[in-house]
Amino acid sequence: MAARRAFTDTDTADEAVRATCDDASVCKRFATSKSYWKDPYIQYFVRSVGERKAPEINRGYYARVQGVKYLLDAFIKKTECDCQIINLGAGLDTTFWRLKDEKLMPRKFFEVDFPTVVARKIHYIKTKSPLSKPIIETHSTDALLLDGQSLDSDRYCIIGADLRDISNMDEKLKKFQLDPELPTLLLSECVMVYMTPLQSSNLAHWAAETFHTAMFINYEQVNMGDRFGQVMIENLQRRQCTLAGVESCQSLDSQKERFLRTGWEHADALDMITVYSMLPQDDVARIESLEFLDERELLQQLLQHYSICWATKDKLNLGLSQLTF
Amino acid sequence: MTVESKTDFATFATVQSMAHESRYDREKKMAEGANDAELLKEKANKYFKDKDYENAIKYYTEALELNPSNAIYYSNRSLAYLRTECYGYALADATKALDIDKNYIKGYYRRATSNMALGKFKAALKDYETVVRVRPNDKDARMKYQECNKIVKQKAFERAIASDEIKKSVVDSLDIESMTIEDDYVGPKLEEGKVTQQFMTEMMDWFKEQKKLHRKCAYQILIQVKDVLSKLPSLVEVTLKETEKITICGDTHGQYYDLLNIFALNGLPSESNPYLFNGDFVDRGSFSLEVILTLFGFKLLYPDNFHLLRGNHETDNMNQMYGFEGEVKAKYTAQMFQLFSEVFQWLPLAQCINSKVLVMHGGLFSEDGVTLDDLRKIERNRQPPDSGPMCDLLWSDPQPQNGRSVSKRGVSCQFGPDVTERFLEQNKLDYIVRSHEVKSEGYEVTHSGKCITVFSAPNYCDQMGNKGAYIHLRGSDLKPEFHQFTAVPHPNVKPMAYANTLMQLGMM
Repeated sequence: MAARRAFTDTDTADEAVRATCDDASVCKRFATSKSYWKDPYIQYFVRSVGERKAPEINRGYYARVQGVKYLLDAFIKKTECDCQIINLGAGLDTTFWRLKDEKLMPRKFFEVDFPTVVARKIHYIKTKSPLSKPIIETHSTDALLLDGQSLDSDRYCIIGADLRDISNMDEKLKKFQLDPELPTLLLSECVMVYMTPLQSSNLAHWAAETFHTAMFINYEQVNMGDRFGQVMIENLQRRQCTLAGVESCQSLDSQKERFLRTGWEHADALDMITVYSMLPQDDVARIESLEFLDERELLQQLLQHYSICWATKDKLNLGLSQLTF
Repeated sequence: MTVESKTDFATFATVQSMAHESRYDREKKMAEGANDAELLKEKANKYFKDKDYENAIKYYTEALELNPSNAIYYSNRSLAYLRTECYGYALADATKALDIDKNYIKGYYRRATSNMALGKFKAALKDYETVVRVRPNDKDARMKYQECNKIVKQKAFERAIASDEIKKSVVDSLDIESMTIEDDYVGPKLEEGKVTQQFMTEMMDWFKEQKKLHRKCAYQILIQVKDVLSKLPSLVEVTLKETEKITICGDTHGQYYDLLNIFALNGLPSESNPYLFNGDFVDRGSFSLEVILTLFGFKLLYPDNFHLLRGNHETDNMNQMYGFEGEVKAKYTAQMFQLFSEVFQWLPLAQCINSKVLVMHGGLFSEDGVTLDDLRKIERNRQPPDSGPMCDLLWSDPQPQNGRSVSKRGVSCQFGPDVTERFLEQNKLDYIVRSHEVKSEGYEVTHSGKCITVFSAPNYCDQMGNKGAYIHLRGSDLKPEFHQFTAVPHPNVKPMAYANTLMQLGMM
């Protein structure tokens, strides 16, 4: 009998990271139930609305979701849907279904996450018809490729892989018809911060090497060198969750650097206060009236410590570096 | 790697037939256009009749995809959303319907109903009014208008009543005497119905170990403190003798372990160690009940040397949203929360020390000319109004520039150094002390020393990393002396109404 590998510290850390996908989806579930934005699919991943979340959390997620959506949609429109999207560390994200509804589907939508997360997501997809229907509808044959750790169809593919094991992930993606010639959008939300700066640089580098025309959107913490950053790190440590990549989260510049150093031509980064102020303000006014926020400081501080960074390379000269808020 | 046919999955079988159906539908749609939107709508209507609202919504949505400028589809979907309590979506759809066709009567009905559900009665009334105007002979419209009008009037009335106590108090329906304390309760009890030093020590330890005070004791405290507070004026005036001092604390927000730390650093309250807590005792923090019962206990023990002022979080709206109501309901009952609400209404609004220093939770006023006498006369036994001195006392903030501005909070105002100067001069005061805003150092001195902020909830919400502070004020010189302190650890307890903010933060 093979010796069982001891449950190491890194296993605990990984487990804690996997759990973050639930935090995100639970918060999104609550925020959408309060009409911050529309997501008819999240309920199939998170059944009950759950406990009330603080208004600053709801507004923070609103800014994140709308911010990422803005850039993502801009990329798809620029490439006229003739592109592919890879969501790294996708968790229980529902973007694929949104794009199908809004008729903004790329040629193929890939999602990558830890195998256990992917297995869960596949289970939900299999058992909830509003999730499986769009996948089946867009598949040309009668049979889908499916096993415990991956699901592949013409327009949607999800695979279980460790983002720190790049060659393995690359192999799996290519197996499922990842096309390096297509303009590609890579997305990672609160993913890189959980791996070391070296590992995340490798990921950025792999993306730059693989695709000649691409955009990489990275949403995560920033300005972590202050008291707030310290408090967050301490709080997370208590949950056995380590922000291994916090070094790259020191400033907007360090966020951009990670991409510029690894073969990307151009990079922009904005903190979420700026992004929030650049979102359509009539909708912002609408969501601000949904719940009364008693202490604006809490929201300001939160938004100040998250950023969206987007890097581009543009061999096909599509004008990707002009995409901005 | 297995290749599974779709029919292998139970759901895929149904899904497959639906997939075929929709492929067929798609072709049909391309050929037949708008008629199919109608068919979809009929389908949705049928689901609606069968009370299958999820499917009704689905098909209305599909109909809208084919025909996005159909007011009826929006209106119907709005009704389906209402049934599934998605009031925000219902309102949006009703509004869309009216955008498309402003003469569509049902649209006004839908929007009015959505607004009613959201508690926006005045807005609903406007729409009912429109329908009645357009259809003067419609009895149903008239009836709906009148009903809504009644509610609007009732709300206005409730807001306007002063201390008439037309509203029945929880106290009247409580029978404390016949409440028994079970034998297996080994926690603190009042001694002959009174709060003693012994009781307070025991209770604080009991709370520290996260245990619950027996509800009879909680009720006893609440009833007695309500009585004590109701006898106080809205502006409390105290005199500090030369040799006396007082400690002023700002917001504590349910951070019980930090409150215990204040007592550890600065001594327990007593006749010779008086305290003034400047509002916002509850909400956000996980231990609001422990904080408030401790503060109320000390109020009963040292009524002349332990002072409490009302903050904007000692109100129903805030408690409902920010955790206190949820915490009380979970640990005790809704009835007890009702009593807390009544007690909060009797908290004084401001305190004047030696006729020189004025303390209030929020700040100064939206208009010049407010006097201390005006404050004395405020009938405070109510929820704060949307504007006016009582609202300002709980909500306003200082600003660096002269004049007044619209408040960042959307309630009350921001007031500049000149406003402070004029107010102090008119009322012969030296400076004001207020709280209400988190400060990284725990306190802040502004308006050339005439407006001081003190905040006593360190590492607010487990997020801000700020220090807490309290102020020593001596009767001899009335010069503020600041003491800072940092957060102490607390048990990792999920607050009643929120998953712990700090956890969500990291995961964003």
